[in-house]
Amino acid sequence: MAEKLYKIISKVMNINIEEINDESSPTSISNWTSFNGYVLLDELETNFDVKFSIDEAMDVKNVSDIKRHLQNHGVNFND
Amino acid sequence: MDKVKPLSEYILDSQKIEINDYKNKIKLAILSSFTINGLAESLKVKCSQKQIFGSTYVAGYNQYNQEIFDTKSNLYSFSPDITFLILDTRSIFGNLFHFPYSITKSERKNFVDEKINELLNLIEKFNETTTSKLVITNLGLPHYSPHGIAEMKTSYSFHDAIIDFNKKLKDKVIEMDSVHIFDFFKFVIQHGENNVFNFQNYLFGDIKIALDYIPHLANDLIPYVISFLGLTKKCIVLDLDNTLWGGIVGEDGFDGIRLGPQPPGNAFVEFQKYLKALSQRGIILAINSKNNFDDAIQVIREHPHMILKEDDFACMKINWDDKVSNMQYISEELNIGLDSFVFFDDDPVNREFVKENMPEITTPDLPHDPSQYSEVIQSLHDFSVFQVTNEDTNRRKMYFQQKQRSESQKSSTNLTEFLKTLNLEIDIKKSDSFTIPRISQLTMKTNQFNLTTKRYQEEEIKKFSEDDKMLVGCAQIRDKFGDNGITGAFIVEKTNSDEWFLDTFLLSCRVMGREIEKAILYHIINEARKNNVKRLKAKFIPTTKNKPIEHLLPDSKFSKENDYWVYNIETPFSMPEFLTLRVK
Repeated sequence: MAEKLYKIISKVMNINIEEINDESSPTSISNWTSFNGYVLLDELETNFDVKFSIDEAMDVKNVSDIKRHLQNHGVNFND
Repeated sequence: MDKVKPLSEYILDSQKIEINDYKNKIKLAILSSFTINGLAESLKVKCSQKQIFGSTYVAGYNQYNQEIFDTKSNLYSFSPDITFLILDTRSIFGNLFHFPYSITKSERKNFVDEKINELLNLIEKFNETTTSKLVITNLGLPHYSPHGIAEMKTSYSFHDAIIDFNKKLKDKVIEMDSVHIFDFFKFVIQHGENNVFNFQNYLFGDIKIALDYIPHLANDLIPYVISFLGLTKKCIVLDLDNTLWGGIVGEDGFDGIRLGPQPPGNAFVEFQKYLKALSQRGIILAINSKNNFDDAIQVIREHPHMILKEDDFACMKINWDDKVSNMQYISEELNIGLDSFVFFDDDPVNREFVKENMPEITTPDLPHDPSQYSEVIQSLHDFSVFQVTNEDTNRRKMYFQQKQRSESQKSSTNLTEFLKTLNLEIDIKKSDSFTIPRISQLTMKTNQFNLTTKRYQEEEIKKFSEDDKMLVGCAQIRDKFGDNGITGAFIVEKTNSDEWFLDTFLLSCRVMGREIEKAILYHIINEARKNNVKRLKAKFIPTTKNKPIEHLLPDSKFSKENDYWVYNIETPFSMPEFLTLRVK
């Protein structure tokens, strides 16, 4: 699942998948603008079939935050 | 259209588009009252699918007033061809969106008038400053009202005010040549408010069109681009079996084909009705079918549920020749270039064959289900025009008369004899509010008999017409078979008291080969003479398509001077006797 998540981030942010880790954030990825942040959440919702609450969306500061919220929606990252 | 591709892919794809790969180019500006990131990228991708390079300018968030009122703004220095102004109900109505009933009914009315006036001021300033086309969205109607079901018992309600705003905007803009309305109200009806408007997107980033629907919006704005660049297609060439009716007439027989009020035959009736409506607004229909002529024509002439009749088709090639040869023949017979055709055939092999041999023709892939045929043509956007002219609505009739003319020509032995029998009449008309849209359309669409191929938008023709230093006119052609409408146009620049320059001289392909150009030239030379002009200067700008007009100038006694051709006004000019010329 982590790979699926990284693939989506890599596509939306237009960067190589190798450049992404759990600490990646708007500070380390220059394409991670606020607008691309919305696009990313939108794509995650579609691809993982989840719906983030406004609090969850506001809380996302880096990749591990995304993982945590996806896990709360039942997405399993321990495969 | 492609329904699955998310916005992020448009954004990525847009970065791969290179300007040098495209012949057609357009500059698009986007102004908006809310966050509309992603629209520019989606427009670029949609343009590239039509072989157009779109360069874009996106104004800052909600900066549209400043950009328009500041004559030195980045918007104007970008000098766009088309500017999209995307507004939304929440921004326009402000606090009244939530509290429309905090004021009285007459205050609501005044509010709408005030907002319309603000917008008209903005439009006026825009039009003063730039020649760009302006496309404004009207307002979407939210299902929400604080009155709930009582909304319909409220006079001049919140919803009425929105509808009134849209109506007043349309009534004002309908008179403006360079301003158009994109019907966002209808866009929301088509896709549904619950889809187009996403509360989270809105609350997060003031994104008032959900990210997934931005590509849809871009898709629906493409018709303005097609129309602006004059890339509108002229003719749909149709197959018959499994395209206009279900089944194969040669095998299933007259009674066996599927065409009628019951499913599945009703899908074909529905499609034919759609085609008929297209033909009524000026799109030419033709047939290219592998069939026994007698079998097929019997269906066309006698089948009780055929909506399209013989006179709806400007040309019919029903035979066992290959589809490419037939296309070539149709193109020559109708005098229309291959790039103005859409080829519509259910058989993928035929489609592939035409695609490979005639890549200029648009050949869409067809779904197996005929109930989706109309949608395929609609989503091409290839028949978009800013305005439907009289010539458009009469075109079907005129092409049918043309078919009769060709028949008649076959029975005459020599061309002059034949032309004599036509009783050709040419009315020269000034440019005025009736003829300006058509003159512009002719400059945009005419390729073959066009001396300089200069393309002019309506507002440019209008400007020339108001200029004392220009002479703009057109020619309406009639003959014994009927009225061809306005099919010739010219623009003369009065360079100085001694010399005029022929900026534009063209004839629609429909009336070529009848020496009508001589009558129009005769008129221009006469006008020059009356004004004591000594020389009429002209230039032939060759293109890949305008060979038919190549000899006009030398044949009309113009002599070559460097890059130009010059006619000495004292040289007598005669016009064929079989033409009747009238100046209105």
